[in-house]
This record gives sequence, structure tokens and C-alpha cells, in this order.
Amino acid sequence: MSHAASDDSPGVERKIHVIQGEFHVAEGDDVMLTTILGSCVAACMRDPKARVGGMNHFLLPGATGDEGLRYGVQSMELLVNALLRRGARRERLEVKLFGGAHLFDGLSDVGAQNSEFGERFLRDEGLSYHGGSLRGERARRIQYWPGSGRARQILLAPAETTVFAAERRPTATPVVDSGGLELF
Amino acid sequence: MPASSSLTCLIVDDQQTIRSLVRTGLQQLGFRNIFDAPDGEDGLRQMLARPVHLVISDYNMPKLDGLGLLRAIRSHPPIQKTAFIMLTGRADKELVQRAVQFGVNNYLVKPFTVQTLKEKIEAIFGVLA
Repeated sequence: MSHAASDDSPGVERKIHVIQGEFHVAEGDDVMLTTILGSCVAACMRDPKARVGGMNHFLLPGATGDEGLRYGVQSMELLVNALLRRGARRERLEVKLFGGAHLFDGLSDVGAQNSEFGERFLRDEGLSYHGGSLRGERARRIQYWPGSGRARQILLAPAETTVFAAERRPTATPVVDSGGLELF
Repeated sequence: MPASSSLTCLIVDDQQTIRSLVRTGLQQLGFRNIFDAPDGEDGLRQMLARPVHLVISDYNMPKLDGLGLLRAIRSHPPIQKTAFIMLTGRADKELVQRAVQFGVNNYLVKPFTVQTLKEKIEAIFGVLA
């Protein structure tokens, strides 16, 4: 769930920005993960017992294509697996979803599709949904502390979409190798 | 030229979403007999009760991971010749090399297209009818 924007987070030493098509896993109370979302969705996940958490940032729902982390299925799987490798247990994962805004009229509502994908993914995978903030018409800045599970949402003013636009730079070439090492 | 409709396949992945995607891909290729399991342990139990021609398994899974499942299959004579394709999240060559040591037949990096899935299967069984 988003929280009020009072800055009661002294001691944050490491701030990690998660850009489009990436994910990051961290542990400890001194880490804050942050991202800026328009129609994209970010899942913030943590295992409170293992005290490890992470955030992803995907652009499109589904799984088709070879664009890797841009797509929700791949992005979610890699985040979940990265958490499991760090000692998290699937049944203990707490997930918050943010983003999925409909920013521009006249375009297909990718934000709604991303939101529906995120919610459906949690249902299908039996992951525990701990709230968040989806859809709407404003871009958001999200801050997430994986150590505590606390999240903060800051809605961007329409005039601040230039910040958001700057965020929408092209992603690096995805890591896709469907045959680089052919066995037979 | 094997008919895909005559091949049986077991999908092993802890994520329902991935199992559904692989199942859909196999159905598009003509597979009709598709089973699935959420982890290696369940997959092995199913195989011992009902052998299949092909296993498509994730690597990262609880209880028994993909490599463990592969090793278990290769050590059980009734099912040891089962074709095995390992799903990996990234092009992890170290994992692939370990899987090769344990007798994997091929690997598939996610995300993949139906065409890639088809090519990987045909590399094992020949051109599908």
C-alpha cells in the first residue's frame, strides 16, 4: 500500500534505481529501490522472514516475442527466482503492484493490460497480494524498502511528465539466447 | 517423422503461468497428451507412474530442481531414455554444461517462441508431422 510522503526514512544509504525492463533484488534495511512508472507496472516483492526483497519494472503484459524482460511473464519469473535463490520462500512472498496508468488518450490502454496481467499473475501463482496502486491517469514515482516492505508512491504532476519521458529511454539489448550453444 | 499427437510430454515448472505458456505452445505444435507438475519431485512421481516421451523442465524449482530431476530420470532404468529439455531463465552456459554432463538433450532459454520450441523438439525427435 502506498504511504504518506513523510520522510521518515533516515539511514537509507543505498538507493537503487530500477529502470524499464530490469529487476533488482536486495536485502537489508539500508536499501531503497525506486522507479518511475507510467503505463509500466512494477512488482515489489519480499519475504519478511528471509528479509530479502526486490522490484521489477515491465513494459508489456504477457510473454510473446523475444524481448525478454520487457514482458511481464519473464520479468516476474526472474524476480521470483532471484528471490528464491536468496533464501525466500514462494509461500511467504508479499507482493505489491504499482503503475499501469493510462497516460495518453487515443492509445490502446497498455496500462490497464499491464495491471490486469499483474493481478492475474498473482492469482495464478498463488502469491500474496499486499496492495499497491494500479491504473489511474498519472505517472508515479515508487520507492520501496525491501527490508521492511514499506512502499511510498509519489504521483507526478502532469507537468512532470518530462521526467517520465526521460525515463522512457530505449532499453539495452535484451539477453536472449535461444540457440547460441546448440547441443545437437 | 513422428506425429506430435502421438508424443506425450510432461511440463515441470513451479510457475503456473509458464506451464500454461508451454502447454499452449505444445498444443499449437499438435501435441495432445500433455501433463504438468509444479516441481521435480512431483514430476518424477508422475513419470514413474506414467512414463512420457519428453520432459520440458524448468531449472529453478522447489523440492527437486531441474538438474535433480534430470539426474533422477537418468538413474531410473525404466525412464532413463526419456528426452529432456531444460528451460533456463537466461543463457546460463554453466548450467547448460552441467545439464549436458547429466544427459540433457537440449535446452530452451525463456522467453521463447513456438518456432524455437518446435526446433528444439525436432532436434531430438526429427521433423514433427
